[in-house]
Amino acid sequence: MAGRLLLVCRLLLRDLRRRRTETLLLLVAITAATATLTLGLTLSEVADRPYAQTRAATAGPDVVGTPLSTGRAALDDLAPWPAEAGVTNHSGPFPVAYLTMTAHDATAHVVVEGRDAAPAAVDRPAVTDGVWVRPGGVVVERAFADALRISTGDTVSVEGRPMRVTGTAVTAARPTYPYAGWHHPGSVLVERGGLIWVDQRDIAGLADGRPLSYTLNLTLADPAASAAYRLGPDLRTWQSIGDLNGRLYGDARLTLLVGGWLLSGLALAGVAGVVAGRIMAQRRRVGLLKAVGAGPAMIAAVHLAEYLAIGLTAAATGLAAGWFAAPVLIRPSAGLIGTINTQPPALRTVIAVTVLALAIAVAATLVPVVRAAATSTVHALADAATPPRRRRWRIWLSRRLPTALLIGVRINARRPRRARLVMVNTLITTTALVGLLVLRGRVEHFDLGYTALANPRGERQDQAVVVVMVALCGLALVNAIVSTWTAVLDARQPLAVARTLGATPAQASVGLAVAQVLPAVPGAALGVPAGLGLLTLVSRDEIAYPPVAWLLATALGVLSAVAALTAVPALVAARRPVMETLRT
Amino acid sequence: MTDPTVLRTRGLTRRYGRDSGLVRAVDDVDLDVPAGQTLAVMGPSGCGKSTLLHLLGGLQRPTAGEVWLAGNRIDTMSERALARLRRDSLGFVFQSFHLMDELTAVENVELAALLAGRPPRRARQRALHLLDRVGLADRATHLPSALSGGQRQRVAIARALSNEPQVVLADEPTGNLDSAATLEVLRLFEDLRAAGQTLVVVTHDARIAAVADRVVAMRDGAFADDTRLAGTVYGGRR
Repeated sequence: MAGRLLLVCRLLLRDLRRRRTETLLLLVAITAATATLTLGLTLSEVADRPYAQTRAATAGPDVVGTPLSTGRAALDDLAPWPAEAGVTNHSGPFPVAYLTMTAHDATAHVVVEGRDAAPAAVDRPAVTDGVWVRPGGVVVERAFADALRISTGDTVSVEGRPMRVTGTAVTAARPTYPYAGWHHPGSVLVERGGLIWVDQRDIAGLADGRPLSYTLNLTLADPAASAAYRLGPDLRTWQSIGDLNGRLYGDARLTLLVGGWLLSGLALAGVAGVVAGRIMAQRRRVGLLKAVGAGPAMIAAVHLAEYLAIGLTAAATGLAAGWFAAPVLIRPSAGLIGTINTQPPALRTVIAVTVLALAIAVAATLVPVVRAAATSTVHALADAATPPRRRRWRIWLSRRLPTALLIGVRINARRPRRARLVMVNTLITTTALVGLLVLRGRVEHFDLGYTALANPRGERQDQAVVVVMVALCGLALVNAIVSTWTAVLDARQPLAVARTLGATPAQASVGLAVAQVLPAVPGAALGVPAGLGLLTLVSRDEIAYPPVAWLLATALGVLSAVAALTAVPALVAARRPVMETLRT
Repeated sequence: MTDPTVLRTRGLTRRYGRDSGLVRAVDDVDLDVPAGQTLAVMGPSGCGKSTLLHLLGGLQRPTAGEVWLAGNRIDTMSERALARLRRDSLGFVFQSFHLMDELTAVENVELAALLAGRPPRRARQRALHLLDRVGLADRATHLPSALSGGQRQRVAIARALSNEPQVVLADEPTGNLDSAATLEVLRLFEDLRAAGQTLVVVTHDARIAAVADRVVAMRDGAFADDTRLAGTVYGGRR
């Protein structure tokens, strides 16, 4: 047993060292998929963490009551709440007004909360800059201040009354900008807006005679019990506030999730391409192992060990890359405090990423490894090529084709699996590009009542799109290069024979390029509806279809890229002297 | 009394294709190889020599007939059992050497022993002993790319002997070698014959036939001639 184990390890290490480029390509392909998945899962995992940290730092409430009624009626509605079973502490009721604020020529809905200078027992907003409320001053929720570019010392206008910004602060009692919960008094329709705090004595003057609402913060003996409260326009729990804060990452999470699927598919196609090339080269090795007495299980073990080692390394690299990239992408709202990467990745993430990497490695290697193990030893040792299947219609058609096209068709007929991989690669790339085109057409700004501001969800999604785009284009490029490279190596002999029969170097190189472009055509054609369909399926909002011309340009662009990538190696291959090729 | 025949075939047949494309690569061959005999199989290209060797080694399955090795019928064995048989009872030497390029000479030789489950230390000792026996003790840590053709073939022969096989099957062992390297291999085969190793060698080379105890000539898949030699062999006298 020790001897066999030694042999498997020895062959594994020597082969990895000998085929460094291929090993690197495999690592890159699987790592791209695992890193994206890590990012997506980390986003889900840690999206709630900054809110939890903010809640702890600000003595955040478990339940917040804000009745739709106003004035005395509202106070009467809230009066019994602190005495209810399970309530351990409370603060308020604090007066609230739903007004407008103007700063730097931007006017927005604003929820104004009246506070005392003394800290409250529950919900003590953490001042991040300047000082807490004082008469004539206003403290702006930090995310809202960032959106309107407000700094401490600025002067803003609340309902036309100028007020000096004394500071910025964060709270866990209301969702961050733009989900502060602004509504017309008595209305259940909530609109986007920000939150400010003023001295309690100033709020009545700002409301200018309009009836005030009130808000009451409660803590419970069992915070989880707040989930049993009936949510409505008059009541929020810390869980519902956390969900609203998590919306900030919703689009980015979706982009990474769908991008992760597409990247996994692309990685699978890439790995299958590299593995197919390796297995072709290793057929002789398999034959030799069989001749000296290795059984099918031993041969499978030798090959699988190699790909499992690569898969595990890619999983670790992807986890590390995703984990370190997460803080850049998962920028918490300025309305929250706390950091993202203070803990190692969750076990769930580690398991999911490892399973993905191993699944890609095993799925891509299983069929070729089993085939190699089942190949006749004599056949494998002779390194004989598998003859293409002869089909009458194909022979009839090929007789009528121009030489270059004929060469392309024949090359694909020799290696139909590689042609299918080219198609899958093009299909996924086009699908992803069309999906990203659709995302570009979404609403970039939202209405704050009077002014449209940049959508912070969109900003985060844009970053996710960049991550997916870079990984996707990089991986598609690697796949195309690998596919072209193996095609050139594999077709050298038949092309040399074709040239001895009279084909010109130009016909040979065009034929090679045609062999790559032909299977890419159905891939690009199917990728357009696939991209539109995918976005329709996963998007929660209505999608804006890009113009047909853009879709056509995307498909043609992908095909041109495939042709361009193939052209250079094809030209180089056709330049090689015929006799030199035939001798090798 | 035990049967001295180590390798036996009865009605061994291997056909390819059908109808007008039917090829009888090996056609109804009966063969008995006693233990310790060196058998040379000769004949023109395409006469079925290599196919016969592959059938004897369980590398290919016959269309009809039987193959027996040391009293065990091998043509009906499972792939796993054949692998075990090749590991324990057979040694192969190929025209193209078929060494693993990424393994050193000693690692190539110990390959079969490790596959057979021998302890690594014992496998290494045996491999070094065999390399010494084929005159390559000083090349043990060289990769095949750093060895000459003759040296590579000697490594392949050492590998074939690694598990002390009952029969060594060699397919054109000097086909890729120059004269000097061919002489090295011939000397080695003569040593093996003298040591009582059963050898079946498929060859075009008349000098190899001169080393043999018996020469079988093949034509169109069948035996055309079967001669037992008793005269001079290469490098010395019988």
